[in-house]
Amino acid sequence: MSGASTGSTATTKATVSDSKDTTKPLQPQKAAQLEEDDEFEDFPVEDWAKEEEVGAQQGGTTTTTHLWEESWDDDDTTDDFSVQLKEELKKMEGQKK
Amino acid sequence: MDSIFRDFAAAHNPATITDGRSPGYVLASTISPEPPEDEPARFYNFLQATDPSSILTDLKYKLQYNPHVQLEKKEAAAWMEVFTVFYKFVSFLVTAEEAQNSGRAKEADWSSVYDSWKDVSNALYKGYQSTVFAAWTIPCIYVAGKYLRVFAIKADENIASQRDSGLAFGGIQEEDAFNPDSKNEKLEDAARQINRIFGLCISDRNPIDESRKWALYYTANLLFKTYFRLNSIALSKNIMRSLRASAHDMPALYQFPKAHRVTFHYYTGVIYFLEEDYATAEENLTAAYELCLSPNVGGGATRKNLELILTYLIPTKLLTSHKLPSAALLSQYPRLASLFQPITTSIRTANLSAFTAAMEAGEEEFVKRRIYLTLERGRDIILRNLFRKVYLAGGFESVKDKDGNEEMARRTRIPVKEFAAALVMAGAEVGDGNGEGGVDGDEVECLIANAIYKNLMKGYIARERGIVVLSKAGAFPGTGV
Repeated sequence: MSGASTGSTATTKATVSDSKDTTKPLQPQKAAQLEEDDEFEDFPVEDWAKEEEVGAQQGGTTTTTHLWEESWDDDDTTDDFSVQLKEELKKMEGQKK
Repeated sequence: MDSIFRDFAAAHNPATITDGRSPGYVLASTISPEPPEDEPARFYNFLQATDPSSILTDLKYKLQYNPHVQLEKKEAAAWMEVFTVFYKFVSFLVTAEEAQNSGRAKEADWSSVYDSWKDVSNALYKGYQSTVFAAWTIPCIYVAGKYLRVFAIKADENIASQRDSGLAFGGIQEEDAFNPDSKNEKLEDAARQINRIFGLCISDRNPIDESRKWALYYTANLLFKTYFRLNSIALSKNIMRSLRASAHDMPALYQFPKAHRVTFHYYTGVIYFLEEDYATAEENLTAAYELCLSPNVGGGATRKNLELILTYLIPTKLLTSHKLPSAALLSQYPRLASLFQPITTSIRTANLSAFTAAMEAGEEEFVKRRIYLTLERGRDIILRNLFRKVYLAGGFESVKDKDGNEEMARRTRIPVKEFAAALVMAGAEVGDGNGEGGVDGDEVECLIANAIYKNLMKGYIARERGIVVLSKAGAFPGTGV
């Protein structure tokens, strides 16, 4: 890291990044717009009836049961992965003997 | 001008309101920066009907000597002040909008629009502070606060674009452009103004029926929105603390309009989510979801709000109860489906490599929404599901119960090797680094030990024998086996 040549490269680099800077300002603006998309909107009305609530429209207490599922497939051992896994385990069993 | 004061008079004579709006909202519409739908030219008319030299006299006739409006002297004076600054505001607004609409957006002086709107807001503030304005007028507070934010954002964007194009301030702004503090100057000011309004409402000692406390949740929501945008989410905690501290002498949350409640539940839910208090987050986000206006009634904006609620509720549920959104839920929101479907599928099928790929593909979006780290913890659930599959694949064996009777039970002694095989199949990175498909046994044991530590699986590793001994009862808590 010595000599005049290194110094001059550094300067060129600096100029290059400077010229890039003029195009950059567009990006923060874009990000700001995305943030705006994220904002919670005002509701068209201030209040509403019980039957207009999402919870009521989707069947009250049953909501949670059909909108959310367990993260596993019950005791299903016939899915592709389980079938493959059983074969793999059988193979291992075979190798042992 | 006539229509503004016709509405102003109507608000003070509720019997004459024909469209079912409450007097407070009719009153607020007279100072709204958005003209009513049936009179888009309201502000042009206002500017044409009077001029700066005669506005005071004109307002006197509308407010003090108007037979349709019976106001106390002090109240009339307070409104005089509001409408005097409102008139100035309107002229700035009309000029800025004209510039904006004729393709000279950069020349639109949103800073002056903001500043003059702040004057309107301050004039209202004074009216409330001196208890001249009654509580039924609080929709005026909503309008003041809402547009402080709106115009501040426009002013900041405007300042930024002028700075970027070098239009304003000459070269000296170079340094300033890198100063993050100055980027949101107006919005930060707006936050202070709205905070003052919040203080004005929370300190009201009038009986609940006539209290400005009814404006508290609306104002709190505005502050949350502003703090989120300013990236100063921590300041929201002060607001939540103030609300809790005065909970005993303010109306209960359920008594407030649902629009205020849903928004409040959403923001507090997200705040708890970011603090990793997932139980409280789930409570609030679930309440926001259930209570939200149905999009069948509310349309696009409402659907977007539901999407936002679910964006945080889905990762929360994954963590608190290991539950995934059903196809029925995701199918209603295509944007959420594209965001979460790959992750959801990979967790359900215990496919680690698909999970990693989905996290990588969605990284930018997840990080932006601050849900990346929470989703990443879905990896634990995949491992649990994977180990569970190994357990199920082991089938049953005959064992003797304590009385010596033979019965069939699931095999509970499982070689570490079987878990290793499953991990390899699922795409876990457990290779021994030799590039020959060998497996690093320590790595496998580590993953198993972690699952046991996190109570996703019950048992222990018998290292010397290379087997995992699982609990005979409930080896995988909460999953039915």
